[in-house]
Amino acid sequence: MANPAIELKGITKAFGHIIANENVDLTVFRGEILAILGENGSGKTTLMNMISGIYYPDEGHIFIDGKEVNISSPKDALDLKIGMIHQHFKLVDVFNATENIVLGLDEGKYDIKASAKKIQETCDRYGFEIDVNKKIYEMSVSEKQTVEIVKALYKGADILILDEPTAVLTPQETQKLFNVLRKMREDGKSIIIITHKLHEVLEISDRVSVLRKGKYIGTINTAEANESILTEMMVGEKISLDIERSEPKDTTDRLIVKGVDLYNKEGVQVLKDISFTAKSGEILGIAGISGSGQRELLESIAGLQKISGGEILYNNPKTNETENLKDKTPMQIRNLGVRLSFVPEDRLGMGLVGNMDIIDNMMLRSYRKGKSVFVERKQPKALAEKIIEDLQVVTPDAKTPVRRLSGGNVQKVLVGREIAASPTVLMAAYPVRGLDINSSYMIYNLLNEQKENGVAVIFVGEDLDVLIELCDRILVVCGGRVTGIVNGREAKKEELGLLMTKGNAKGGKSDE
Amino acid sequence: MSNEKVKEPFMHITKRADISRGKSWLIRIASILVALVFCAVIIVLLTGENPLSVYVTMFKGAVGTTRRIWSLLQNVAMLLCVSLAVTPAFRMKFWNIGAEGQVLIGGLATTACMILLGNKLPTPVLMIVIFVSSIIAGAIWALIPAIFKAIWNTNETLFTLMMNYIAMQIVSYFAYVWSVPKGSGAIGVINPNTQAGWFPSVLNQKYLLNIVIVAVLTVIVYIYLKYSKHGYEIAVVGESENTAKYIGINVKKVIIRTMLVSGALCGIAGVLLVSGTDHTLTKDTAAGRGFTAIIVSWLAKFNPIYMVLTSLLIVFLQKGAVEISSKFELNDSFSDIITGIIIFFIIGSEFFINYKLNFNKKGENK
Amino acid sequence: MKKFLKVMAIVLVVAMIGVFAACGNKTTDDTTTTAPAAVDAAKVKVGFIFLHDENSTYDLNFMNGAKAACDKLGVKYIIKTNIDETNDCYEAAADLADQGCNIVFADSFGHESFMIQAAKEYKDVQFCHATGTRAHTEGLDNYHNAFASIYEGRYLAGVAAGLKLNEMIEAGQFKAEDAKIGYVGAFTYAEVISGYTSFFLGARSVCPTATMEVQFTGSWYDETAEKEAATLLIGDGCKLISQHADSMGAPTACETAGIPDVSYNGSTVDQCPNTFIVSSRINWEPYFEYIIGQVAAGKAIDTDWTGTIATGSVELTAVNEKAAAEGTQAKIDEVKAAIEAGTVKVFDTSKFTVGGKAVDTYLADVDTDEAYTGDTEVIKDGAFLESNFRSAPYFDLRIDGITLLNEKY
Repeated sequence: MANPAIELKGITKAFGHIIANENVDLTVFRGEILAILGENGSGKTTLMNMISGIYYPDEGHIFIDGKEVNISSPKDALDLKIGMIHQHFKLVDVFNATENIVLGLDEGKYDIKASAKKIQETCDRYGFEIDVNKKIYEMSVSEKQTVEIVKALYKGADILILDEPTAVLTPQETQKLFNVLRKMREDGKSIIIITHKLHEVLEISDRVSVLRKGKYIGTINTAEANESILTEMMVGEKISLDIERSEPKDTTDRLIVKGVDLYNKEGVQVLKDISFTAKSGEILGIAGISGSGQRELLESIAGLQKISGGEILYNNPKTNETENLKDKTPMQIRNLGVRLSFVPEDRLGMGLVGNMDIIDNMMLRSYRKGKSVFVERKQPKALAEKIIEDLQVVTPDAKTPVRRLSGGNVQKVLVGREIAASPTVLMAAYPVRGLDINSSYMIYNLLNEQKENGVAVIFVGEDLDVLIELCDRILVVCGGRVTGIVNGREAKKEELGLLMTKGNAKGGKSDE
Repeated sequence: MSNEKVKEPFMHITKRADISRGKSWLIRIASILVALVFCAVIIVLLTGENPLSVYVTMFKGAVGTTRRIWSLLQNVAMLLCVSLAVTPAFRMKFWNIGAEGQVLIGGLATTACMILLGNKLPTPVLMIVIFVSSIIAGAIWALIPAIFKAIWNTNETLFTLMMNYIAMQIVSYFAYVWSVPKGSGAIGVINPNTQAGWFPSVLNQKYLLNIVIVAVLTVIVYIYLKYSKHGYEIAVVGESENTAKYIGINVKKVIIRTMLVSGALCGIAGVLLVSGTDHTLTKDTAAGRGFTAIIVSWLAKFNPIYMVLTSLLIVFLQKGAVEISSKFELNDSFSDIITGIIIFFIIGSEFFINYKLNFNKKGENK
Repeated sequence: MKKFLKVMAIVLVVAMIGVFAACGNKTTDDTTTTAPAAVDAAKVKVGFIFLHDENSTYDLNFMNGAKAACDKLGVKYIIKTNIDETNDCYEAAADLADQGCNIVFADSFGHESFMIQAAKEYKDVQFCHATGTRAHTEGLDNYHNAFASIYEGRYLAGVAAGLKLNEMIEAGQFKAEDAKIGYVGAFTYAEVISGYTSFFLGARSVCPTATMEVQFTGSWYDETAEKEAATLLIGDGCKLISQHADSMGAPTACETAGIPDVSYNGSTVDQCPNTFIVSSRINWEPYFEYIIGQVAAGKAIDTDWTGTIATGSVELTAVNEKAAAEGTQAKIDEVKAAIEAGTVKVFDTSKFTVGGKAVDTYLADVDTDEAYTGDTEVIKDGAFLESNFRSAPYFDLRIDGITLLNEKY
């Protein structure tokens, strides 16, 4: 395997000041399957997009068969026989498979019948099962994916990139796909498969390259790898978390969620009979594979989603009255005296306004105060400056638009504001995603502080180690259902992992 | 470089993280200069005229005489007024391209008051009736698409655009009904003798009152957008509807309220055009200002104070260009080409303010 | 010093010419107003205000006349196009006056109010306006209306239409009683009524069984509406179409349907080679020459000037032999001579009836006021005197034989 099909050297790509790839080297040989492994946001897709001509690298060189090339458009990539199958398919729904495959090809003349025959031959060669005359909108996800792969092959791709191809497939479909990929490998094609599922990497690939935070970590032969080695490469050296965790004091039931059902816009049920209680003075963690209903659950509580069944009860510590938050708008919830703070997952799209400065973002929660028709910027300014100082927000001044801040500083601004409202319930969705260690710890400490102040904290996280070390109790969701509530102090990662995948058999996918 | 085998793209484009104010203005001014040079080439190629004399003509056409200066100011005021009207909606990212129709309907209300009540009410009462009814008329015309947007999420761009044509047809109809002489389809100057419902001349300048009103409106709109709670809500809704919902802003209410403001300002523009300027109504009364205002507002980044500059720029170009076509006996389309090119360059400069061109030097490193 | 003398001499000469001109004028014509000072012909400058540019046939007609007259007389001119019927017109007129124009002319009906406004302000400048109605009542020395007896041209075009109908009847294409003409009008406005009635009377003078249907579009220029109106008329059984509207809508509809068409404002033979018969139009060049000449000579311009066949203001295009009936040109020449001789009157009251009765007296709304009522007796010696009391038409009788399909405009 001495002849590399693709060689990347020193590839760097930045979006504004976010560095997606930094000095990445990568080599793919002919007739091999290379897995690219990395966590969310580690820069896998960006890297592949540069090979397929969607992005152009800021720095670095790309070699195909030892010759330096310049890929500035998908057409260039195609000319170099590189094909990519994206996570989101790029097919025309009302066309059939054949029409989609020949779309955009300049074959001299348009002969759909001849093309269909040629496509059928390609399919037979690798064992694809598709009906070339079926319209895309009639197809299942797996069929669509097959069309995408055949399209790439038909266009002559020798180097095939698949971006998380198994994410949308059932185990049986995955096996079928892998069989095809193996046949293609025997045919001398180079296959790059992006994934973060370890067992798949071990099953299908010849070699594994690992990216972490945009950087290239290393490549090992799959035969020499096992799950723990790969995990370590992926997440880096084990960090002893050592998050302080105090014993909950004076806990009372603050928020009681009972049998909540929710349907999304497409009419698919995303929350099924969710019940739990959040207590004051404790941190309730919510664990689950991303997209299992965490976001919808928090939004339902915040009054942003209209639940179809169940109730959300709030015990007001001031009046000792119980309010039902069902069918209430955020405004109505606020007017009931419910002090609910919410750090949403989408910081700049929901929690903050990117184009506004820190002061104006402080005002989001408080601008209504007072009878004047004009807004009052003095207090927000003071608050902004306090947060900048207390939380060590790195910013030129309080008048800087928050979109110019780095991710960690954005989060500090958001969390700072939500805490400043002195809530009784604080919900935080993935508050440390994308943050460096120091910032993450600051957030953990803030959450702990709130807990000690008697706030009922709900923490949605993805890092199980953190959940286990930070939370008093952990609620596990899977496919929109609660699959278990465990004590944080006794929880084991394996146990949580099991609960997180428990409901998978039933699947919650709307595509099916 | 000579051994370079690989075809390199000449350059590629990256987004700028930040740019200083001085530099961004430098880019803008440079773009105007480049536009002028480019236009000069076009002028020579197409007409053979001396570009310098064309530009001198342009300048004189806009501000060559006292009358032209007043006329320029008046036109700036009118365009600015409509631009102020569309701005609150634009800040909300509600693409109201129906200002033309909203102005016309406001003007129609003014006309109706002048014709039907003109000689029946004392002047102060008449003026109040004119303002109130025109504001209401403009607001209603804007309210209709706003309600459809808020409740059924219809496409406001198409909706407001279509409302323009309806407004034009309604005006055409009334232009026939009220035409003098009957059947001619033209209303002619209303109350030419009594001048009932006309703006008075202030300090012997008949346009001064218009200009003052628009100046006051500019400040009011600026304050409304920047310092009022409404203005803040508009900004939040415009930037992120999700954020607005998250902090409990009733987005529908804000859409409707803001469009009412937009429409009301258009109604005022209608009064200024009919009572304050033309003293008549045709379907050309708005004269495309409803559309030009979009450019004005956009170029000024929806800032009312900057809009004074951008509307001045556009009116200056228009007036100058008309003079070019008159003096050199060119078709009006030619002056539109010149104006278009200059505006294109100015808009294009925003790209260079937001993005940076990176010229490739990869080859040199080898 | 030499320069000073020269200037003085010119001033004196100019002043004297003015005095003489003023004197001469009073004796010749009592409808004209006091004359302004004479201006050296080479120094006359004319400003033109046009509603659209040369892409509109209506404005192009004026523009061609303007350029031809000015070039012929060696006069400077400034043209402003695309001037709306709003305050823009006033601004344009005032600006032209500021630029030293001695004459400012505007071509669209809706410009009138604004021209008057400017005329009041610039007493030394002559403001001339085509198609307007208010000069004779406004009492301004320097504001003038102009029009042409286009009804005569339309009458002649009507004769050509009648001959074509006769030819088709003889060829057995339809019965004599089915000889129905379709007419696309803009508004139910005197200028239009005068136009279609004279056209109809011309047609009926040679084809006695002719009837007419009129469809209004509610716009002076709307290609789609005019095309639709023509198509509707054709569908209604009209055998020949004419129009008083400025676009190519009706002519193209006729060409498509193969129906003969009498056009207006210029020949459409290039676009409609098989159906175009003839077209009448107003030639404005004589008027422009007239006003320039008057100003140069220091003479007053008529308050209301009506161009006629005799002045060369009313013209017919060449007859399209392919579509017209045989002998059309000869017949037109014959009738034209008769009109010029006064033996044929277009609105001869013996040739038409209203509500079945002959009309021997009629008060027309000549003065533009808010009353919209007749104020002037216009029937004299067995004929309706069109364009006599003011230049713009005021014939608005609904004569028998013509059916209006809608009256909403």
